[in-house]
Amino acid sequence: MQVYLPIAEMSVDAFLLVGIGFGVGWLSGLFGVGGGFLLTPLLILIGIPSPVAVASGANQTLGASVSGLIAQWRRGNVDAKMGGVLLVGGVLGSLAGVQLFALLRRVGQVDLAVSVFYVVVLGTVGGLMVMESVRAILRRRTATKRKLHEHFWMHGLPLKMRFRRSRLYISIIPPFAVGFGIGVLSAVMGVGGGFMLVPAMIYFLGMPTSVVIGTSLFQVVFVAANVTMLQAVQLGTVDILLTMLLLLGGVAGAQFGASMGTRLRGEETRALLGLLVLSVAMSLLWGLLRRPPNLFSSGPAL
Amino acid sequence: MIRLALLLLLAWANPGRAQEVPLVAALSQSAVEVTTGFTGTSLMVFGSTEGPIGPGGDEVLVVARGPTRPVVVRRKVPVLGMIWVNGPSARFAGVPGFYFLAGTRPAWQVLPEDERQRNSLGLDSLPLTSTGARSPAFRAALLDLESHSGLWLENTSPVEIAGSRLFHARLPLPAAVPTGDYQVEVLLVRSRRIVARQALAFRVDRVGTADRIATVAADQPFLYGLSCILFAALAGWLGSVLFRRG
Repeated sequence: MQVYLPIAEMSVDAFLLVGIGFGVGWLSGLFGVGGGFLLTPLLILIGIPSPVAVASGANQTLGASVSGLIAQWRRGNVDAKMGGVLLVGGVLGSLAGVQLFALLRRVGQVDLAVSVFYVVVLGTVGGLMVMESVRAILRRRTATKRKLHEHFWMHGLPLKMRFRRSRLYISIIPPFAVGFGIGVLSAVMGVGGGFMLVPAMIYFLGMPTSVVIGTSLFQVVFVAANVTMLQAVQLGTVDILLTMLLLLGGVAGAQFGASMGTRLRGEETRALLGLLVLSVAMSLLWGLLRRPPNLFSSGPAL
Repeated sequence: MIRLALLLLLAWANPGRAQEVPLVAALSQSAVEVTTGFTGTSLMVFGSTEGPIGPGGDEVLVVARGPTRPVVVRRKVPVLGMIWVNGPSARFAGVPGFYFLAGTRPAWQVLPEDERQRNSLGLDSLPLTSTGARSPAFRAALLDLESHSGLWLENTSPVEIAGSRLFHARLPLPAAVPTGDYQVEVLLVRSRRIVARQALAFRVDRVGTADRIATVAADQPFLYGLSCILFAALAGWLGSVLFRRG
């Protein structure tokens, strides 16, 4: 069934969009990531103009994450206090990121910058996650005891606060900095940032995996809302019909993903997410390295 | 319906007036409505001529042009011999978002070259002026990209002749057709000269939900952004309620 998208100004198969939404939503619920880093390239692949794909992708991420967030909230897996600290950093970071994006645009290399950002960030994050989780799985097999907390410089910072859900008593500076950094990256890459937030929370902040997913969804919801608003006002590229079709599949997928996620062990979930992130990075790297089939591309002049 | 229209047109055009009006043409529709279910459509351009058309007689050309917009064509170049990035670009002003040309025979066969160029009949004679990179490859690339998108059509199907004085041509409008005002010109060619021309016009408009969405998004972006956020959040919440298990 073909449907005409009013902002993208093109006609697309509605079932295809619902299907893409379901797949991405499923991953969103399973891993606690918004799925923007998968959705945006997929939409561009089926021919949606990139600005519309980025903006509507952020909008869909918001909806799918709300669905996942509620599912996680019900299981008591959200640390709202930690989420709040991350969010303050995230909103400030995304405002700064938009300025960086505008600068890149003036220089005229947005495409390259975004691709390189994706490859470097996704490649690093994915690689680290796979390595760490494989090591964790092996360690579980050999049944060696691991220290409960490792103390390093971070724990000497002032402004300490108690995060009950995360069982942490740490300074608010690291979570704020993580939130800010993710905010900058998400504005430049047009994603919610969950796939970076999840490992940052686990490895840097030392939060337990069970709380990480719900809390990252909490942050992603608000960052995606911020991005949606900025895109709608500045560029007018949010296609609500596209968003709604993606969400139709996405909300269903997120629920299935969330219930499946509770059955998977933390290390396996992380290894799978790491592999997924890594494969997206590889395909984007391939896109940069291979000789393009058509050297020329056209787009509307600004 | 088309046949009936053609007959009516013939009846109206022929008696007594044939001497003054060498060419009469019309469109099957003057407006195309783009709804959320729009998947493309086609218009019929039809008419009749005073003298016989076809082999040995006059020729008919039909050209349609859509609203224009500026387009940037970029060329990818390898940096450090490995990474492909957008390099030089050329900016074309006034590129038609839709172009269609059909004839009883191709335009280059029935008109002298200078006459064809002057009337910009044919993709190679579109008046595309560019700023930026100078290479003619950019112009060729633009033609190539637009032709592949199905929005620039030249001699894809000929103008059909019925009964030596009636002609009709199908004007296909794909789903990605831009909205705005379209000009259609029907030309009568005799002995390699344009002897008569008739200008027609139609509009492509978004209507209904598609139009309301686009209007609100353009006029009240803050309100639109807010409702996008609320709708998405609502859909997410609804989903979690519907699929609540256990």
